Amino acid sequence: MNGTATAALPALPTKRDEAWRYAPHAELARLTFGPADAAVDVPAEIEAQIPDLDGHRVVVVNGAVDTGRSTLPSVPGLAITRLSDADPDAVAAHFPADGEPADAFVAYNTRFGRDGVVVQVDAGHTIEAPIHLVDIVIPGPEHNTTSTGVVVTLGAESRATVVETRLGGGSAFGAANARSTITIGDGATLDHIVVQDAPDTQISLTRIDVTQGAASTYRGRSFNLGATYGRVASTVRLAGEGAHADLSGLYFGFGDQSLDQQVDIVHAAENCTSRQSYRGVLDDASTGIFSGGIDVRPGANGTDAEQENHNLILSDRAEANTQPRLEILADDVACKHGATVGQLDETALYYMRSRGIREADARRLLINGFADQVVDDVDYDTLRAWIIDRLGHADA
Amino acid sequence: MLHVANLTAAIGDKQILKGLDLDVGAGEVHAIMGPNGSGKSTFAHTLAGREGYEITGTATLDGADLLEMAPEDRAAAGVFMGFQYPVEIPGVNNMYFLRTALNSVRRTRGDDEISAREFLSVAQEAMDLVEMPKGFLNRAVNAGFSGGEKKRNEILQMAVMQPRLAVLDETDSGLDIDALRIIASGVNALRGPERSMIVITHYQRLLDYIKPDFVHVLVDGRIVESGDHTLALHLEDHGYADFVNHDLDASGRPLSGAPS
Repeated sequence: MNGTATAALPALPTKRDEAWRYAPHAELARLTFGPADAAVDVPAEIEAQIPDLDGHRVVVVNGAVDTGRSTLPSVPGLAITRLSDADPDAVAAHFPADGEPADAFVAYNTRFGRDGVVVQVDAGHTIEAPIHLVDIVIPGPEHNTTSTGVVVTLGAESRATVVETRLGGGSAFGAANARSTITIGDGATLDHIVVQDAPDTQISLTRIDVTQGAASTYRGRSFNLGATYGRVASTVRLAGEGAHADLSGLYFGFGDQSLDQQVDIVHAAENCTSRQSYRGVLDDASTGIFSGGIDVRPGANGTDAEQENHNLILSDRAEANTQPRLEILADDVACKHGATVGQLDETALYYMRSRGIREADARRLLINGFADQVVDDVDYDTLRAWIIDRLGHADA
Repeated sequence: MLHVANLTAAIGDKQILKGLDLDVGAGEVHAIMGPNGSGKSTFAHTLAGREGYEITGTATLDGADLLEMAPEDRAAAGVFMGFQYPVEIPGVNNMYFLRTALNSVRRTRGDDEISAREFLSVAQEAMDLVEMPKGFLNRAVNAGFSGGEKKRNEILQMAVMQPRLAVLDETDSGLDIDALRIIASGVNALRGPERSMIVITHYQRLLDYIKPDFVHVLVDGRIVESGDHTLALHLEDHGYADFVNHDLDASGRPLSGAPS
C-alpha cells in the first residue's frame, strides 16, 4: 500500500449530497471495505449467467482477476493487462497523484481497488471483437464490499467495444464498488456497455469517468437492472473540439429496488455534441432516479446538447425522480431537455386488445416496446437477446 | 347476424346512446350517419369493448353476447373496429403486432398458430390491397404514420384479421381523394356474403365508393331514420336539419308535419 492508504478517508455521502439524495444511506453505512480476496469459488449458476459474447473476456472475482476464467486472444494493437501489474504511467489517470476524490466511494476504490483490468488500444487500430469485462462479487467474511478498477485507453483514430457486466452471488449483504477511467484519443470511437445485474441482496455502485479528445466519439449504454440499490454514475468530459458523447440507458425496477443514474456531461471544448437518452420502467415499489447534468464551460461555444428521460410507472407504489441540471456559461449553445413520467397508455392497450391480443400480452408488448428503444441500440445479438431474456424473466 | 336492441351507453351522468336498435344481416353493409356528438363513435366502441361506459341493452353477434366479452374475445368472435384515430405504439413492430394479434385470435378459437411463411403471404396480400409500400410492416405500429397511412393500416389489419363484423369509424376522415379511393377499394374487396360491415361516416362522399345496403341516421343516441343509399343523398342535400331539434314521436321518427 502506498502513502494514501493511511490518509483519512472522507465521510460517506449523506442525503444532503444532491448526487446521493435517493441512496439508501443506512445500508451504505453497513458496507465494509478491504483489499481484493484471494481466489474465490464462483458458483456454476453465476457462470451460466454471464452473457456469451464472442470476444475477449476478463473475469474479475471479488476484486482480483481470475486468469483461469479469462480468455485473451492476442490481437495486434490491443493489450489487456491486470491493473495490479500495470505500469503506473499507463494508469495515472485512474490513480491521480493529487486532487480530492469525488466522494468516499471513489476514495475507497482508489485505496482498495488495486486490481482489475487495463485495456489499451493502439492508435489507428480497430478491435472488432468486443472486450468483455465481467465483475463478480460474492461478499466474503473479511469485508462485504469489493473494489474493482477498469482503465480503458484508446489511441488516436482507434475503435473498440468494451462491455462491463456486473454480477454477484451468495446470500450475504454486500456491494460492488467499481470504477472505470476511460480516455479516448483524438478521432477514436469507444462503444461502452454496462450491464448491472447484481442480486437483490447487494448494492452495486459503478462510477465511470470519461475524457474525450478532439473529434472522438463515446457511446455509453447502461442497463441498470439488478441490486437493491443499483447506481451508474457517468461523468464525461468533452475536452477536445468536435467530440461527441452519446449516452443512453435503461433501468427496470421491481420489488423495492432503487435504480439510480447520475450523468454529467462537461462541455469543455468548442463544437462538441452530447446526447442523453434514458428510459425507466418501474414496477412494484421500485424507485428510479435520473439526474442528468449538462455543464457548458466558458469558451465551449457551438455546444449542442440534448437530454431526455422517459419513465413508465407500472404500479401506484413505484416512483420516478427525474432532474435535469443545466449550467451554461458559453455562447451559441443549443441545449434541449425533456422528461416524462407516465403510465401504460390505456388507449393503446384497448387498441391492441381490440385486435385480439390478450391484456397481459398487450401490457408486455407495450412495456417491451418502450424498453426496446434502448435495447435496440445494442449491436451484439447475443447481448441484446440476453437483456431481452432478462427483462422477460423479470416481467413474468 | 348482429342484433342490437335498446342499447344505451353512458359515461358518468352523460347518457350518450339512448336505446339504439339495429340488425345487420350476413353480407350486408350498413352506413350510419349523423351529426357530431350523436353517439356514432360511442356505438362503435360499445361493440368493440372499450371500458368506461355504463351499458344496458343487447348486442349479440351470431347469438353470442358481445357485451359480456373482453375486447380480445370480441375480436376472436369476429369483431373488428377500424379506429377513427388509430393509436401509435412506438417500439412495437407492425408485423410483429399483426402476427401476435392473428395468432392470439387463432389460439382463442382453438386453431393452430399461423406459420411465419404463411403469415408473410397473408400480410403481403393485405399490403397489396391497400397499396402499402414495402418496409411498411417493419415500422412501429402507426408511429409517425401520416393520417392516410394510419387509415390504410386499419384496412390492412382488417384484411389480415378477416373479421365477421367490421365496424369502420370515420375511416374516411382526414383522407385526400386518392387515399379515399384506395381505402374504399380495399373495403369493397373485403365485402363478402359472410362478412357484415358498419360504416360510420359524416359525409356522403365515402358512400359513393362504398355502396351501402342500408343507411341509418343516428341523432341524439337513437337511430331516427333508416333507408337505402338514397337517404345518404338526401342528407347530403338537406343536412341533418330534418332530424335534429324536432320532437320525435314514439317510433323515433320525426313527427309528421316537420319540415323536410
